[in-house]
Amino acid sequence: MRRFVIRRLAAGVVQVLLVTFIAWLLFFVVARLTGASPADRVAGKNPSPGTVERVAHELGTDKPYYEQYAKYLWNFVHGNFGHSYIQGRSVSSIVFSAAATTLSLVCVALVIWLVLSIPIGLLIAMRAQSKTDVLIRVIVILGMSTPVFVLAPLMSYYFAFQPAEGKFLGISLPGPVNIFPLDGYVNLRDNPLEWLHHLLLPGFVMAAAYAALYVRYVRALTLEQLGQDYVRTAVAKGAGTGHVLRRHVGRNIAPIVVTLVGLDFGAALGGVLFVETVFALPGLGYVALRSILDLDYAVASGVITFTAVAAVAVNALIDVAQGAIDPRTRA
Amino acid sequence: MISSSPTPSSTDPTAVDAVVAPPADAAPAAADPRRELWRRLRANRPAFAATVLIGVLVVLGIAGAPLAAKITGHPPNQQYTRALDAQGVPIGPGQRTYKADSTTPDPHGDLFLLGADRLGRDQFVRVLYGLRVSLAVSVGATLLALIVGVALGIVAGFFGGAPDAVISRLIETAIAFPSLLLGIGLAVALGAGVLNVIIVMAVFGWYYPARIIRTATITVRGLPYMEAATAVGATVPRLLRHHVLPQLTAPILIYGTSMIASNILFEAGLSYLGLGIPPPTATWGQMLSDAVASNFYRLDPWLALVPGVALVFVVLAFNVLGDGLRDALDPHGEHL
Repeated sequence: MRRFVIRRLAAGVVQVLLVTFIAWLLFFVVARLTGASPADRVAGKNPSPGTVERVAHELGTDKPYYEQYAKYLWNFVHGNFGHSYIQGRSVSSIVFSAAATTLSLVCVALVIWLVLSIPIGLLIAMRAQSKTDVLIRVIVILGMSTPVFVLAPLMSYYFAFQPAEGKFLGISLPGPVNIFPLDGYVNLRDNPLEWLHHLLLPGFVMAAAYAALYVRYVRALTLEQLGQDYVRTAVAKGAGTGHVLRRHVGRNIAPIVVTLVGLDFGAALGGVLFVETVFALPGLGYVALRSILDLDYAVASGVITFTAVAAVAVNALIDVAQGAIDPRTRA
Repeated sequence: MISSSPTPSSTDPTAVDAVVAPPADAAPAAADPRRELWRRLRANRPAFAATVLIGVLVVLGIAGAPLAAKITGHPPNQQYTRALDAQGVPIGPGQRTYKADSTTPDPHGDLFLLGADRLGRDQFVRVLYGLRVSLAVSVGATLLALIVGVALGIVAGFFGGAPDAVISRLIETAIAFPSLLLGIGLAVALGAGVLNVIIVMAVFGWYYPARIIRTATITVRGLPYMEAATAVGATVPRLLRHHVLPQLTAPILIYGTSMIASNILFEAGLSYLGLGIPPPTATWGQMLSDAVASNFYRLDPWLALVPGVALVFVVLAFNVLGDGLRDALDPHGEHL
C-alpha cells in the first residue's frame, strides 16, 4: 500500500510539473511572440525610453527562460502566483476568492445532480424497457445534448426574468414574482440563505448534463448487478426490492459512482465558465475568461495552474482512496 | 445476433443477456463487415433514424444553405434595416419586414421564416450557414484528433515498454488539464479562424481516442491469431495494417461519432466566447452569444431558441447514432 501511495503521488507531482510547464509556456513564452510582451503591457502606451527594459527586469522576463520557469515554480509552491498589473491586486487573492465561488457552485450542482440521478437511475433500472424507462432515456440523451450555454440563458429567461416581469411560461401572473435572482453572488458567510438562493438556478443548469450522464451510469451499473447470481440468490431467499438495492446493489455500485464523481468534480471545476458567465458569478471560469481576453497573463496562468493542480490532486486522492478500499485497483 | 434479445427493443446497451459473443469472435460469420455493420445499424431504429437525419443535415448544410439564400433572396450577411422596428427590435419568426416608417408591418414585405437578428439578418439563412460551419469544423477536428490519437494508441498498445510509458503519462496529463480554459488560452494565442479552431479542438481531442485505442490494441495483440501471424513471418507493418487496424474499426467509429457531437458543442462554445470563427460568418455559438450577451433574447427569446434548438438537435442526432453504433458493434464493451 505504501509503495502504491508513493508511486501515485510521484505521478501526481510529475503531472503538476507538466501542467505548470505548459501553462507557463502558453502564457509567458507564446504570449511574447504575439507582439505585446508582458513587460510592454505593464509599461503601458508610449512608454518612455528604458521603461520597458526596467519593467522587464522587475518582472524577471529579461532572464533566461529556464530561470523564469524555476522562479515561477518556486513562487507557486509558496502560494504566490504573482501580481496582476491590470487589476492591481495579487493573483492569489483573485484566485482564492474565485475558487470559493466556484467551489460553492460545483458543490450545489453536485448535490442536485446526485439527488436527481441516483433515484431515477435505480428506478428505471428496475423497470428496464418499460415506457418510463424509454421516456427517461429520451430525456437523458436530450439533456446530454444540451450545452450549458443554451440551457443557461433559457432557464434564466423563463425562471428569473419572465417571472420578474409578471409572466411565467407565457401565463400572466398577478404581479411580478422574483423566483430566482437574475444573476450575482452572495458570500456564504454573509447570508447562507441568499447564497443558496443565488446558486440554485446556476447549480441546476450545471447539474443537468451531469445528471443525465449519471442516470445512464447508475442504470447501466445497476442492470449489470441485477443480472448477477448473488441478486438472484438474495431474491430467492425472500429479500425485498429495497433491501436488495440498498444492501447488495448499492454497496457494489457505490465505489464506482464515487470514483466517477471524483473525476467529474475535477472536470466540473474547469468547466464552470459558461454558467458563471451567464449568471455573472465571479468564479474561476469567469475570472479566467476575463483575464485571457484582457491578456492579463499573470491571472490567466494562475487560474489555470490552480485548477489543473486541484484536478490532479483530487484525482490522486481518489486513486489512493480507491486503492485503500479495493486492492485490485492498485495498478 | 442482436435479434435474439428477448426484449422488444434491441437498442438497450446494457441488456446483458442480449448478446452471447462479442462481435470480434463472431467476425468470420459476416462475409462483408461493412454490410454486416449496415445491417445491424438498420435493425436499431433510433440509430437508423439518426443516420438518415445526419444524411439530410449534411445535404442541408452543403446545398440547403445557398439554396435558402437564393430562394429567400437574403444572403447570410446582408443586414435589412426594414427587419428592425424604430427601437431596433428585430422581427420575430414568420413576420414580414416593416414599411419605411419602421413601425407598421408591410403585408408585401420580405418574409423572415425564423425572424431576424439584431442586425436585421435572416435567422433562417444564418442557421443553415451555421450548420455548414458546424459540421465542417467538427468533422475536420475529429478526423485530425483521431489520426493523432489512433496512431499514438496503436504505438503504445502494440509496442508497450518505453513508448507505452511515455504515451500513457502524456495521456494522463492531458486528461488532467482544464481543457476548456487552456483551449481558450490557445485560441487567444493562435487567433480566430477556421483552421485555428480545428487545431485547438484537435489538441484537446486526441487523448481519449488514444487511451481507448491503446486498450483495444493491447487486447488484439494478445489474441492467438496474432501469434500465428507472427509465427508465419508477418512483418510489423503487415501485422498493424492487416491484423490490428481492422479490429479497431468499431471503437474508432463509435468514439468518432460521439466526438463529432462534443466537437460541435466545443466549436459553438468557442464561437460563443468570441474565440471561434470570426464574424460575420454565421456560427451557432456566435448567434447565441449575440442574443444573450446583448440581452436582446429577453425581448425576443427566439433569438436564442433558433440557434440553441438547432445545436441541440444536431448534437442529439450524433449522440443517438453514437449510441446505436455502440450497441451494434460493441454490445459487450464498457458502457461508461
